[in-house]
Amino acid sequence: MKLSSKDLQRFFSQYKIVTLLFAVVVIWVFFNQMSDGYLTPRNFSNLLRQMAITGMLASGMVFIIIAGEIDLSVGALLGLLGGVGAYMDYYLHLPMWMTISTVIVLGILIGLWNGYMVAFARVPSFIVTLSGFLAFRGILLGITKGTTIPLESAGLVSIGQGYLPIMLGNIVGIIIFVLLAFLAFKTRAGRAQHGLAIAPLWQDVSKLAAVAAMIAGFVFTLNAYEGIPVPVLVTLIILGVFSFMANKMVFGRRIYSIGSNLEATRLSGVNVRAVKLIVFGIMGLMCAFAGLTTTARLAAASPSAGNLGELDAIASCYIGGASSRGGVGTVYGALIGALIMASLDNGMSMLGVDSFWQMIVKGSILLLAVWVDVVSGAGSDR
Amino acid sequence: MSDYILDMRGIVKDFNGVKALDGIDLKVRAGEIVGLCGENGAGKSTLMKVLSAVYPHGTWQGQIFWEGKELKAENIRQTEEAGIVIIHQELMLVPQLSVAENIFMGNEITLPGGLMNYSAMYKRAEELMAELKMPDVNVALPVFHYGGGHQQLIEIAKAINKKAKLLILDEPTSSLTKSETAILLDIIRDLKRKNVACVMISHKLDEVAAVCDTVSVIRDGTHVGTRPMSEIDTNEIITMMVGREIKNLFPREEHPIGDVFFEARNVTCLDVNNPARKRVDNISFKLRKGEILGVAGLVGAGRTELAMAIFGCYPGQSSAELWLDGKKIDVGSPRDAVTQGICLVPEDRKRHGIVPLQGVGANITMAVLENYAKFGTIDAEAEMAQIQKSIARMRIKTAAPNLPIKGLSGGNQQKAVLSKMLLPKPKVLILDEPTRGVDVGAKYEIYKLMFELVKEGLSIIMISSELPEVLGISDRVLVIGEGQLRGDFVNQGLTQEQVLAAALGHTEELAA
Repeated sequence: MKLSSKDLQRFFSQYKIVTLLFAVVVIWVFFNQMSDGYLTPRNFSNLLRQMAITGMLASGMVFIIIAGEIDLSVGALLGLLGGVGAYMDYYLHLPMWMTISTVIVLGILIGLWNGYMVAFARVPSFIVTLSGFLAFRGILLGITKGTTIPLESAGLVSIGQGYLPIMLGNIVGIIIFVLLAFLAFKTRAGRAQHGLAIAPLWQDVSKLAAVAAMIAGFVFTLNAYEGIPVPVLVTLIILGVFSFMANKMVFGRRIYSIGSNLEATRLSGVNVRAVKLIVFGIMGLMCAFAGLTTTARLAAASPSAGNLGELDAIASCYIGGASSRGGVGTVYGALIGALIMASLDNGMSMLGVDSFWQMIVKGSILLLAVWVDVVSGAGSDR
Repeated sequence: MSDYILDMRGIVKDFNGVKALDGIDLKVRAGEIVGLCGENGAGKSTLMKVLSAVYPHGTWQGQIFWEGKELKAENIRQTEEAGIVIIHQELMLVPQLSVAENIFMGNEITLPGGLMNYSAMYKRAEELMAELKMPDVNVALPVFHYGGGHQQLIEIAKAINKKAKLLILDEPTSSLTKSETAILLDIIRDLKRKNVACVMISHKLDEVAAVCDTVSVIRDGTHVGTRPMSEIDTNEIITMMVGREIKNLFPREEHPIGDVFFEARNVTCLDVNNPARKRVDNISFKLRKGEILGVAGLVGAGRTELAMAIFGCYPGQSSAELWLDGKKIDVGSPRDAVTQGICLVPEDRKRHGIVPLQGVGANITMAVLENYAKFGTIDAEAEMAQIQKSIARMRIKTAAPNLPIKGLSGGNQQKAVLSKMLLPKPKVLILDEPTRGVDVGAKYEIYKLMFELVKEGLSIIMISSELPEVLGISDRVLVIGEGQLRGDFVNQGLTQEQVLAAALGHTEELAA
């Protein structure tokens, strides 16, 4: 059989995930050749921790991009929320639960505000969030007066620096596997109940076996160092919840359909404004998580925290296969995008590459990824 | 013959084997006004696109002689240089630029170094405005300050500035008020005196009768006849336009019709860009249970706007009073309409019907997805069972239910959009051009389905530009023209001529 360019296109758009994982492996192998100690449990743990913050932002951002919008304010909002958390902890000496819940509520409210301006006041999201990009950073500078605020509470610090005890890590791995197995068999039962065709049992079982091997490898590698880092665990939970939302929930389906054709969705009787509002609310929540994690990781809130974080998050989404025209994208894609960015950062830092080179390489990778996407014809003929 | 400035001979144009024009002739003398008439889709616009080289020489067969020489234009610029200027129905002005800048767009008068010579352009623009009896227009003001009528005249000024010898006007009055129309027709007569010829495409036969010297009628891509206006009247034009038999394409079935079930009172829609103009002007009608109500009228008559107003999605200002099953209902959005039992299958399938990247199945269940969900989580299997039922009922041809809908044929996409709007179990279903761009087989199936639905007690409003379809399917026919209700006929012994005459505003003559 001749392999035409059309077949190649189909392969790329269907197995984008494979292509992306392949890219990750290439990057890892490359840096491992160039420097000792890249592929060690210790560095793997570091790498994932680095990736977690961008990953949290990218998880929220991918919904925004799928819905056909953009959010430029997330880096500044991350900084602001992290600053508010540190302020409450250091100056007001509030208990940890109060700090965390206030920051989360504030994040959601600011996200909803952005969403309100976009969906109901009909200001383009680029403008709304560009204004946030400036204003949120300004508020942060006002609160911190341009200085760094340290953290007092050890509990807060552990959000960013802590590890899950080894035993607990193993249990988490087992829980994830049991959950996935349960979902697979529930699907089978459901299909049988409605008289739909069921895939052969061996297919599902071998899929689950592959998943089990991956989870085991992941957990054992991290446990070989100190355990699963808390931010990584949070990111994994977000991945699970958001993937479920995207694939199994009405809300997720609505996000994709709005991004693909807003008018047709509205004319089908869907409340498209509410969907957009909530998407921005979720983005605010992600900023709260990322802000707390950033502050905790550094044990202090710096006025420049999260600087350019929005661009890393947006780049991750595009590298991970989201379409700039909306309607296309996945949460795991965005996270792999974040992983690619973090792997490059981490590897080049280990090699002692100048930071200006790092920026050039990251910029080029973004262009390359989207160019491949365009050439492979994903989302064409709209 | 040398006294013809334009002589088009045997023009044939096909799109993928479908002949849009099949041997059309058109002749125009210098300073003559020719009316070009024909039903929707007869080929008028295609013919004008051939003439103005929107379709370049070589993409069609036949010959065009312009001032005695054969014209082989490759693009619009060449035809404009020859003196043929087309003014499209949708005006091509840039609202933010000034009147003068619009008039000189592409032909700017410049100073050395490419600087705009504004004083020269303003002077010339003012001359043109005076020539068109609009000396009050401030040529330095942006075009959006002026209404549709003025904008139409600015387009004409632009054409005169290009030294047009033949002006093609495509539905020039479709977006104008009565008084604006009168001014425009005067200007056209004025241009005639200056020896500028004009081809006017229009559905408004009284306007054609008022200004044209000659009328050419085309139907289904063929030339029906060319007659001097002095020899015929508008009724004869109508007969020439229709002139075909209804073939037995319509699987008409008897079905019981109940009492009045839905009523729309005083539906009015204002034009989005020109709120002085009413797209729909105070239309009221009733719909019985189990009835198929055809809505006929020419393109731009306000039928789609009427449907949008009822469905709560008209983009401009609109008002309507709706009664369903004896109760007054409030419809402010499509969501309200769907929940109260009114569904709309829109005209523009690509823009308003399908979500192209999503699967056929997801498109079908879009309006009722909540019904297959618990706590916001979709019961994928229950949903899939419904999808397969819908696909089977409508015989939608797709390799798998989760394939993106954009890969399907027009007919299958339409069936999917129809299924989507049936799942909310509507009581009133509005179909806007349900068979547009749909092949004959799928058309037949859609008609079959419509009869099945009315037998189940649904009421259907079908908007259609195809008169045979309206007469072949409907129980009753509403005729709309220029935003007004022009007729409400029981479809018994109703002829295409009657409907078309009503649409064109000639009811009195026919009744007499």
